[in-house]
Amino acid sequence: MTRRLSLRTALVAVLTLAGLTLAAQGLWIPAKAALAQLLLDRAFARTLSEGRPEKAWGWADTWPVARISVPRLGRSTVALSGVSGEALAFGPGWAPGTPEAGDDGVAVYAAHRDTHFAFLADLVVGDLIEVTRRDGRTARFRMTGARVASWDRSGIDPNAAGRGLALATCWPFGARVSGPLRYVVEATEIEDAPVTASAERRP
Amino acid sequence: MTLPCYPFTSSGAARRQAADRTPPLRLDQGRGSVRRFLIALATLFVVLASSFCGLLAMAAAGRAAESAVVTPATARAGALLLKGATPGAYVEAPAVRADYDVTVSGPTQRTRVTQAFVNPGSGWIEGVYVFPLPENGAVDAMRMVVGGRVVVAEVRERAAAKAIYEQAKRSGQAAALTEQERPNMFTNSVANIGPGETVVVQIEYQAPVRRDGDVSSLRIPLVVAPRYAPAAAGFETVSDGSPSKTARGGDPVPDRDRVTPPVRDPATSTPTNPVTITVRLQAGFPVATIESAHHAVRTEAPSPDRRLVTLAGPVAADRDFELSWTAAPATAPSVGLFRERVGDADYLLAYVTPPAAKAAPVETPREAVFVIDNSGSMSGPSMAQAKASLAFALGRLKPADRFNVIRFDDTMDTLFADALPATEANVARALRFVDALQAQGGTEMLPALRAALNDPRPADERFLRQIVFLTDGAVADEQRMFDAIASSRGRSRLFMVGIGSAPNSHLMSRAAELGRGTFTHIGSSAQVEDNMRALFGKLESPAVTNLSLTIPGGAADVTPAILPDVYRGEPLVMALRLPRAEGAMEIRGAIGGQPWRETLNLADAAPGAGVSKLWARRKIDDAEVARTTAALTPDKADAAILRLALEHHLVTRLTSLVAVDAAPRRAADALLDRADVPLNLPAGWDFEKVFGPRAPAAPMRRADLVEPVAVAAAQEVSLPQTATDAELRLLAGLGLLGVALLAAVARRRERGA
Repeated sequence: MTRRLSLRTALVAVLTLAGLTLAAQGLWIPAKAALAQLLLDRAFARTLSEGRPEKAWGWADTWPVARISVPRLGRSTVALSGVSGEALAFGPGWAPGTPEAGDDGVAVYAAHRDTHFAFLADLVVGDLIEVTRRDGRTARFRMTGARVASWDRSGIDPNAAGRGLALATCWPFGARVSGPLRYVVEATEIEDAPVTASAERRP
Repeated sequence: MTLPCYPFTSSGAARRQAADRTPPLRLDQGRGSVRRFLIALATLFVVLASSFCGLLAMAAAGRAAESAVVTPATARAGALLLKGATPGAYVEAPAVRADYDVTVSGPTQRTRVTQAFVNPGSGWIEGVYVFPLPENGAVDAMRMVVGGRVVVAEVRERAAAKAIYEQAKRSGQAAALTEQERPNMFTNSVANIGPGETVVVQIEYQAPVRRDGDVSSLRIPLVVAPRYAPAAAGFETVSDGSPSKTARGGDPVPDRDRVTPPVRDPATSTPTNPVTITVRLQAGFPVATIESAHHAVRTEAPSPDRRLVTLAGPVAADRDFELSWTAAPATAPSVGLFRERVGDADYLLAYVTPPAAKAAPVETPREAVFVIDNSGSMSGPSMAQAKASLAFALGRLKPADRFNVIRFDDTMDTLFADALPATEANVARALRFVDALQAQGGTEMLPALRAALNDPRPADERFLRQIVFLTDGAVADEQRMFDAIASSRGRSRLFMVGIGSAPNSHLMSRAAELGRGTFTHIGSSAQVEDNMRALFGKLESPAVTNLSLTIPGGAADVTPAILPDVYRGEPLVMALRLPRAEGAMEIRGAIGGQPWRETLNLADAAPGAGVSKLWARRKIDDAEVARTTAALTPDKADAAILRLALEHHLVTRLTSLVAVDAAPRRAADALLDRADVPLNLPAGWDFEKVFGPRAPAAPMRRADLVEPVAVAAAQEVSLPQTATDAELRLLAGLGLLGVALLAAVARRRERGA
C-alpha cells in the first residue's frame, strides 16, 4: 500500500510538471507574439525616424523592415527580416530574395496563421493592404485573390513583372498540426492613389 | 524543457487504471486535496514560467553572439553562402541591382550606372562586385549614397586609393572603391554595409558610339563571363620570396584572384543581379530603324531624331545589351566632326567614312587561316554559332584561295600541315572537321594563336594572308595574346569574331587593332549570316590604306598616332587635341590603288560633350599598346597613362576612384566579412562544361571562396512553416493536468475509504 501510494504520488507529480510545462509553453507563444509586436512597433518607429535598421531588443537576430496594415480590419503588424523560426515567433517575416514592397517584383511576407496572420482569413478581394517601408514610403496594394498552394510549389516568382505583394500563412486555418499547404493572399500595387491618413505618417 | 509533445498514451493508461478502481468522481469528497493541488499548481506555474523566460533569454543571447555568420544548416532558402573570415562560418552573398541610364548625343554616349548593394544578412559586410563596361569607356565619376548622404569620389593613384579605402574600412566608415581589372572589367568594393542595409554606388562613363556603314550601335556588357586562367608554366623559383610580378616569366595571370569571381550555378539558383536600362537617344539625324538584338524593349519616338528606349522589364545580368539604329536614307552623314573645349585646348572627334571603291577590286587571292575555339565555355548556342559562322566562311572561299583550319581547347589540332588550295574536296574535308567539333576543356588560346600567326612564306605577295579567329575570348591572360600578336603579326591581318552572349570585347578589339583587322560580334544564331557576310565584304574588298593626316599648324596631338587601314563601310575615327580648332584638316589615303582625299573644316565642328574624355581614353589605349609593342618602356608608358588619368579624372589600370563617408558607423568590435557578389553564368553557357562536374572545383574556379553550399529555391519562393503549436501544447498540458487531478482525487478517496 505504501509502495503503491508513493508510486502514485510520483506519477501525479510528473504528470503535473509535464502538464504545466506544456500549458505554459502554449500560453507563452501567443503572449510572446503579442509582446514582441509592442517592442517591434517602437523599434520600427525609430527605424523610420533615424533611417537605419534598429533592433527591437539587444539580442535580437533580426530587425523590423516594414509595417503591414489592413485599414478595414484595423489590423497592423510589424514585419521582420527573414523567415527563420525565431523571426516568425515575433512577427511576420520578409522572405529573403524578394523585393521590398513597392519595388519591382513580388514582395513576400509570411507569418503564423494563429497569431500575426490570423487576419488573412478575414481578407476579401478588393481589400486595401498598406505596407510602410523602412524608408518611410507607404506602398498601397489592392487584394486581387487568394489561393492555396504547397509550400515548395508556391508559384510566386519574386522577379515577376509589375509590383506585387504576397502574404502567406499555413492552411487550413483551424488545424492544430502543421501541414504542407499554405494560404497565399495576392495583391498588386495601386499607382497614383489619393493621399490617405496612413500616407501622412511619412517623415 | 524537452518533454515529448504527445504524451497521451502513457497518461491514457493511467486514467483507465484509476477509473477501474474508483466510483464516479464526486468533488465534495476530494475538496481539500483539490485545493492543495491547485495551490501547488499555481506555485509550480510561477516557477516554471520564470525559468522558461530565463532559458529563452539565454538562448537568444547565445544566438546574438554568432553575429553575421550563418552555418549551412541555418541558411535561408535561396541564399548563396560564401566562406567568411571565421572557419566553418559563412556569409550570405550580397545582391546587386543595377540601373543603366544611357544618353546618346550624336557620336558619344554618357552612361550612369547605379548599383545598389543589398546586404541580406544580419552582420556587417564588405561587398565586392566585378562588373563589365564597354572596353572603350572612360570612367570618370563615382558617387556613393549611404544613409541619405552623397559622397563624391576622388581619383587617386591605385595604391593610394586602396590605402584610403582600407583605412576607412578599418575605422568603420562607409567607403567605395572603383578599380579597373581590365579595360572592360571593373571592381566596385563597398565597405561597411550594415545589416539589411542598401548602399548605392553610381559611376559614370563616356564612350563612343560605334558606327559601321549606316548602322550606329552601342553595346552594354552586363556580365563578366568566367574566364579561363591558364596555370603558371612550370615551377618558378623566386629568390626574394615575393611572387613574380612579370607576366612574361611568372604566372600568366598574376591577378587571377581578382578576375575570377564566384559564379552561380543556374541549375540550382535563379539568375540574380536584376538590371534596368534606359537609353535616351539623340542621334543627330532622323532615325529610320532601331533594334535591340537580345532584349525586349519599349521604344518611344518623341521626335524624328530622338528615341527613348527602355527594357520591357528588369532582366537578369546574364548577356550583353546591344542597341543599333540606322539613319533614314540619304541622311547619314559621311563625315562627322565634334568639338569640346576644356581648359586651354580644343578636343575634336572626327568620323570619316571613305567611299566604296569605284573600280572593280583587284582580285588578289587570299590565304585564310580559320581558328575556332571549341573549349567548354563555347558549349551550347555559342558552339553552334561558331560552327555556322565557319561553315559560311568556308563556303565563301574561291578555288584560287588557300586555307587552313585550326581548332583548340586545352589541346589543339591543325587540319592541314600547311594551307591548301580551296578545292571542293578540301573544303568538304574542312566542313566535316568543323561539324565534328564538340565544346569542352580549357581555353589555351596562345598556342593556337601562335600557330595561326606562324607564316611559312612571309614575303609571298601573291596572297593576302588573313586570320579569322572565332572565340568568346573567355581568357584571363589577354596580355600574352597581345604580346604574341605584336611580336609576330608579320604580313597577316587578324579578324576577330566574337561569339556568344558576353564575349570579351577588350581582347577582341585590342587584338584586331594590333593585328590590323576588325572585330565582328555574333551574339545569336540570327546574326550569323548578316554579320559574317559583312565581315566577308571587308575581307574581299580592298581596304583604305596609307592613310595620313595634315593638320593646320601641325601642333595637334592625334590618336591613333598611326592611322590604321580602314575596311569597307567602317569609318576612320580620330580624336585630336589642339590649341584652337581653326583651318582645314586634310586626310589622304589610297583605295584599291586609287588616291583619295577628304578635307574637313575644323571651324564647322558641332559641339560634343565628353569628347575630351574620349581623347584621353584613346591616348591611354595608345600608351598601353605602345607598352605591348615595346615602343615605349613600361615606366614611360605608365607615366604617360598616370598623367592623362589624373588630368582627366579617369579610372585606369593605374588609377582608381575612392569615396569615403566621414561618419564612422560600424563599432570596432563588430565583425566585418568580405562577400564577393556572385555573378550569373552568361546565357547559353553550360555550367558543367565550364567548371567541370558539379561537386569538386575545376581549375577555373576558386574553390576556397566560391563553394556555394546551400543553394535552393529555383523559380519560386519557398514558403516557411507558419503554424505554431501553441494550441496543441496548451491542450496537451491541460490534458495532463486533468489526469494528474484525477489521480490525486482517486488517491484521496482510496485513503479516505
